[in-house]
Amino acid sequence: MTGPVKVRITYCTECGYESYTLDLAGALMREFGERLSSIEIIPWEGGTFDVRVGDALVHSMERDGGFPENSSVIAAVRGALGGTTSS
Amino acid sequence: MGTMDKTRFDQGMTYHQYKAAMTRNQEKFIANEERVRLSQDDVNAFRARPLNVMVLAEDWCGDVIANLPVLGVIAMESGALDLRVFARDQSSDLMDQYLNQGKYKSIPVFAFFDPSSWKEVGVFIERPDAVTEMRAAKRREIFAAHPEFGPPDGAVDQLPDDVRARLSAALQKMRDDTTDQANAEVVREIRAIAEGKATRGGARQLAQV
Repeated sequence: MTGPVKVRITYCTECGYESYTLDLAGALMREFGERLSSIEIIPWEGGTFDVRVGDALVHSMERDGGFPENSSVIAAVRGALGGTTSS
Repeated sequence: MGTMDKTRFDQGMTYHQYKAAMTRNQEKFIANEERVRLSQDDVNAFRARPLNVMVLAEDWCGDVIANLPVLGVIAMESGALDLRVFARDQSSDLMDQYLNQGKYKSIPVFAFFDPSSWKEVGVFIERPDAVTEMRAAKRREIFAAHPEFGPPDGAVDQLPDDVRARLSAALQKMRDDTTDQANAEVVREIRAIAEGKATRGGARQLAQV
């Protein structure tokens, strides 16, 4: 495993994205547990739904459109953790 | 152009029923109502043409909280608009008729119908383009005045918490400072529809309904 990995989810509070945010956060909790250093949820505005794994922006609603598949974020986290398999 | 009839229209909530049923943002909604100012000329213009208005809304949406109160005040002060509000996520038959760019479920939607023929006379979606442009310009000014906020298209999650909080406060103040102008533009665009001078309001460049 590489160093600790932090995930940040930035979501638009005025867009009703809470359920997507919590669903993704829950999927990451279940998949990685204590292997993540933290999952940070940032309430924001302007139609934002961005996901950053470590320093890498793995999904941006403005850049990529729509919401990410949980599986794609999980794969990005797994890569950041050094390719370890799920527990 | 959307279709509507009395049976479907009557299934919606009245404006007051919707307001009472809100599960969030009700205080902000009422505060926005209290800021709406109509001239007597506006009121007279709306009284000249009674209309039924189908509204698609959700109480988590900022544009609904900002713009539906404007329509509600117009209806109350003129007595000429009969509103029925439908929850977007439970009304796909209606939402599908008013998709922004044919795919986005942008709200609010205000669809105006002649009360006798049920012919649609106009549609307002989301917010006026002029409001979007005004706030984008104000936003650029904020970033220009505060280099610590980074670039306008920068990643806010990379900002320190205290800087991000100051940016959030500055953006909220800007929205508050521009509310009266935004409300006036919403009134102007809805009035243009009521007077038959326009058939589109709100995000007109985007709407392909």
